[in-house]
Amino acid sequence: MTTIPAITPIPAPEPTTPGRATTDHTAPGHAAPGHAAPGHAAPDPTGPIAARAVDVVKTYGRGEAAVRALDGASVDIQRGRFTAVMGPSGSGKSTLVHALAGLDSIDSGQILLGDTDLGALSERDRTLLRRERLGFVFQAFNLIPALTAEENLALPLTLAGTRPDPVWQAELVQMLGLGARLRHRPAELSGGQQQRVAVGRALIARPELVFADEPTGNLDSRAGAALLTFLRDATRSLDQTIVMVTHDPGAASYADRVVFLADGRIVDEQVDPTAESVLSHLARLDAQVGG
Amino acid sequence: MTPMWRLTLRNALAHRSRLALTWLAVALGVAFVAGSLVLTDTSSHLLDAQFRTTSAGVDLTVRSAAAFNSAMGVEVQRDPLPADLTERVDAVPGVARVRAVAAGAGQLQVRGRTVAPNGPTLVGSWGEAPFTAYALRAGHAPRGADEVVLDAATARQQRIALGDRITVSATTSHTLRVVGLTGIGGQEGLANSAVVLVDLPTGQSLLGLGSRVSSIEVLAAEGVAVPGLSARLTAALGTQYAVTNSQDAAAASADAAKESIRYLRIVLLALAGAGLVVGAFLIANTFGIVLTQRARELALLRAAGATSRQVFGSVVGEALLVGLAGSAGGTLLGVGAARALRGLARSAGLALPDGPLTVTGSTLGIALAAGTVVTLLAALGPARRAARVAPVEAMRASEPAPSAPRRGRLTTGWVLLGLAAPLLVAAGWMRSIAGVGLGAALLLVALVVLGPVLAPRLARLVGRPVERLGVPGRLARESTVRNPRRTAATVTALALGLALISFVSVLGGSVKAISAAGTEAIRADLLVQSSGEEMLGGLSPEVVGRVDRLPDVAVVSRARFGHWLDQGATSALAAVDPVTLPEVADITMTAGSLSALGNDGIVLAASAATERGLQVGDTLAMTFPRDGEQLLRVAGVMADESAQALSSRYILSLDGYARHYSEDVDATVYVKLMGGVDQSRARAALKAAVADFPNAQVRDQAEAAAGRAAAIEQVIGLVTVLLGFAVLIALLGITNTLALSIVERTREIGLLRAVGMTRTQLRWMVRAEAVLVAAVAVVGGIVLGLGLAVATLAALAADNPVVVSIPVGQLLAIVAVAVLGGLAAGLLPARRAAQLDVLASIATQ
Ligand SMILES: Nc1ncnc2c1ncn2[C@@H]1O[C@H](COP(=O)(O)OP(=O)(O)OP(=O)(O)O)[C@@H](O)[C@H]1O
Ligand SMILES: [Mg+2]
Repeated sequence: MTTIPAITPIPAPEPTTPGRATTDHTAPGHAAPGHAAPGHAAPDPTGPIAARAVDVVKTYGRGEAAVRALDGASVDIQRGRFTAVMGPSGSGKSTLVHALAGLDSIDSGQILLGDTDLGALSERDRTLLRRERLGFVFQAFNLIPALTAEENLALPLTLAGTRPDPVWQAELVQMLGLGARLRHRPAELSGGQQQRVAVGRALIARPELVFADEPTGNLDSRAGAALLTFLRDATRSLDQTIVMVTHDPGAASYADRVVFLADGRIVDEQVDPTAESVLSHLARLDAQVGG
Repeated sequence: MTPMWRLTLRNALAHRSRLALTWLAVALGVAFVAGSLVLTDTSSHLLDAQFRTTSAGVDLTVRSAAAFNSAMGVEVQRDPLPADLTERVDAVPGVARVRAVAAGAGQLQVRGRTVAPNGPTLVGSWGEAPFTAYALRAGHAPRGADEVVLDAATARQQRIALGDRITVSATTSHTLRVVGLTGIGGQEGLANSAVVLVDLPTGQSLLGLGSRVSSIEVLAAEGVAVPGLSARLTAALGTQYAVTNSQDAAAASADAAKESIRYLRIVLLALAGAGLVVGAFLIANTFGIVLTQRARELALLRAAGATSRQVFGSVVGEALLVGLAGSAGGTLLGVGAARALRGLARSAGLALPDGPLTVTGSTLGIALAAGTVVTLLAALGPARRAARVAPVEAMRASEPAPSAPRRGRLTTGWVLLGLAAPLLVAAGWMRSIAGVGLGAALLLVALVVLGPVLAPRLARLVGRPVERLGVPGRLARESTVRNPRRTAATVTALALGLALISFVSVLGGSVKAISAAGTEAIRADLLVQSSGEEMLGGLSPEVVGRVDRLPDVAVVSRARFGHWLDQGATSALAAVDPVTLPEVADITMTAGSLSALGNDGIVLAASAATERGLQVGDTLAMTFPRDGEQLLRVAGVMADESAQALSSRYILSLDGYARHYSEDVDATVYVKLMGGVDQSRARAALKAAVADFPNAQVRDQAEAAAGRAAAIEQVIGLVTVLLGFAVLIALLGITNTLALSIVERTREIGLLRAVGMTRTQLRWMVRAEAVLVAAVAVVGGIVLGLGLAVATLAALAADNPVVVSIPVGQLLAIVAVAVLGGLAAGLLPARRAAQLDVLASIATQ
């Protein structure tokens, strides 16, 4: 790749200069994606498919204690889009992204990543697939304490025995605002910085898909907004596909599309969500589930 | 039971898988201790029983007087008694019956093959009860010059039946027909020995006694008090004869035989101690790690009101439980260990009797106490640290970083190191073995104290190549550096074991080099030596005669050895023929001459002469077994190399030897062939000439050197195998530490896997850590072992030049075995780590 589209850098450690249109990160619900980046057209809701779950069933435990965490979940993840997954606690959100990311096996159904059927892969092939084609950001404890930020960033590639493309790495570091922190160990980084390193690590191998399970769950609203903006911009300017689990309607509003899970099934979805629309949707869902 | 105790018990049970290897380490160490005690007790017990049995019914024994009974575990031989003494003894009032005995050591050949029991082959004259405990099981008693009775056990083992012919040799050699098989005191035979019984005249002939006898056994008449009879016999016979209570004589013989067992016991217990010390590191580490992992729980306890003393008590209680359980298991294993040790010791050439094992109460007590005390001591440090956990730590989010060693501790360590190193050098220089011991002790303490500082630095250095493995290697190195105290304990334990092994190996190599030193002075073409490598030789004088008569042989010269007392301390001397020796060896005299020896002179090595301040013409007081203290004239002083060639610093002539010793056996016969004689042909002729003396081995110079080396190698081999046991425990320590730290790093491992580390990479990461720890220990251990060996050799060399021979091949083997051992130690934790479920690991708190 010769030209790297410019996206909004995240100021670090404190936001110093306001970004272009995304000035007020803290105002909830302001950032309908279509308005945030006027230079880009609103994404096409029926783009090519990056990953697909078909009738996925996943049961934990046996007999009396069995829990059907996923109960026939089907979802398409569109390429180049930022998809949010929402739903009540215990509805199977984490289970779904773990299954999509090949971190967990499923009982029945199918997970396709591009043309690859994850179910047909060996444990080793799934591991290789994770480090070459997928990225993952957890809620916390994303980094290896013994390695510096820079080493953590490059981890999937060094594990594969290669080195990151220096231009791309420099770009990521600059965008994530980590320049001054590269030689530090995780213990010497703030929570927000740690999560940004984690996001950088998820992106370093230019994966087809990045999953994030409540990546902003442990961050304050300012740091969270910065991270979300970065993720959204990554889908826009880098054509990166991102799937994010979140509880926060504000966070979901950064996404192009929200899918709602309840009792292990996709029950609804919304395109171009705003915080308000997501909130009312959730209220409706709660009423349905409760009633 | 107080709640604290209940908690202790529950903790110990809940963490039993984490404590399993600790238990094993204690059990193995204790098994070694118990095994050593059981083995040596058993051997002593069997020897006692054996000597008691053979003299069961006899009241008094008359022998020639001797200045001392035994030296270095060998009973001295006494002069034979004149033939008419039996009648004189019989004539003393109060004597009911007497028996003249011919007894000594010999060899046995069956169907052309030498029967080599683990112990001696005893040649004796037959006797009936009540004098002896012999009890015929088949055939009849030996009568006449060609009959022999064999103990039933040997007959069974060698498949010898009545009517078979066997060759018995001592001073002379006879081929005899087996006419009877005997048991001894209810047993089939004597442990470890073959017993060959003939009638008295045949015995006298075999043992070269002529008409004389070895001893006279006396039965007191009915109603006669034995002590009184003893006094009367002594008065009647004179002071050149010794009258001993038979039980005392048996006890004295047993004591002589048990001397080597006492040494064995000390060596075994020292090695078992090494195992326990190494185990102590493992125990301390386990408790340290488990308690770190439980820090939050301990803090909660403290927050809930437990005093720090209660926390301390509960940890010590847990250690007590583990210690007791491990010691109990180890004591049980001890019996098996005793058997294994006996097998090992025997294969190293030590004569240990076979028989049922003796387990005494004190063995049980010592083993239990040793294991428990070691465990408790090892757990004290971790317990004190656990007691210091503050209640607020319950609220802390993350694990506390491992505490750095305190400044005071470091200062102490450096000061100790600063003292130890120069002390060792000075002690080596000044030939002070005590100084070397003190320096070694200081050095070890210093290294234990400084371990947490030194080990990570060394790991960083040694770990360079490991980084080649990429991220797994890098992480492996980081993880050894991350927790200095833990790494230090694991490394120190293994390094200690390896240091001891390399110490022994360098020492052994150098002793071999020393024993070979000077032998180039020997110019003999061939040597005839006793296969047993026994100190006091064992070749019948008949051997030298037969060799001398061969036409190819130009010169024979023989050498004998003997023990003497040097102001109470046992020492050794050699006896040579001053006339023929110069023809087979280049002897350098610095003063006087060999030919001046006569039968009352002695030649000293230069170093001995210097030590004692003696010159030619002075006299030296020596105590001999046969004639007590004598003054010998210093006839000459020889160069130290020449003394080394003769394996002794004190040289008598054969004539002098015959005055002071009753022994009539040669250690070595040096043979010089006629010019132009084919060596291999001459050798075959020699072999044929001495064929019926099975212990006579014909060797060339190289084989003689190998024979000397073999004895040293066997001992080194035994010690190394037993030290390997300590190394095994240390390797268990690596497994244990790694397995425990895997538990600690579960989340990190889950993350690595999620990000794309394959199982194979993960396994290599853990194995690399194990290998790295082993490698650090190898470097430390070998450097330490070498240093101590050099200092020790220097100190032991006294006035001789310091000889250090480093067996490079052996050291490389140690390196390879230790590194491979490290790899093996990492297998289990690596498998465990690879089996961890990715998601479950990430979810771990
Ligand atoms: N390892 C497991 N063993 C047993 N049950 C599990 C396990 N993991 C998840 N579950 C159950 O499966 C269901 C779905 O869990 P999941 O973690 O996917 O929910 P979630 O939507 O991510 O919830 P949250 O919003 O609280 O993170 C829950 O009922 C949970 O209790
Ligand atoms: Mg979840």
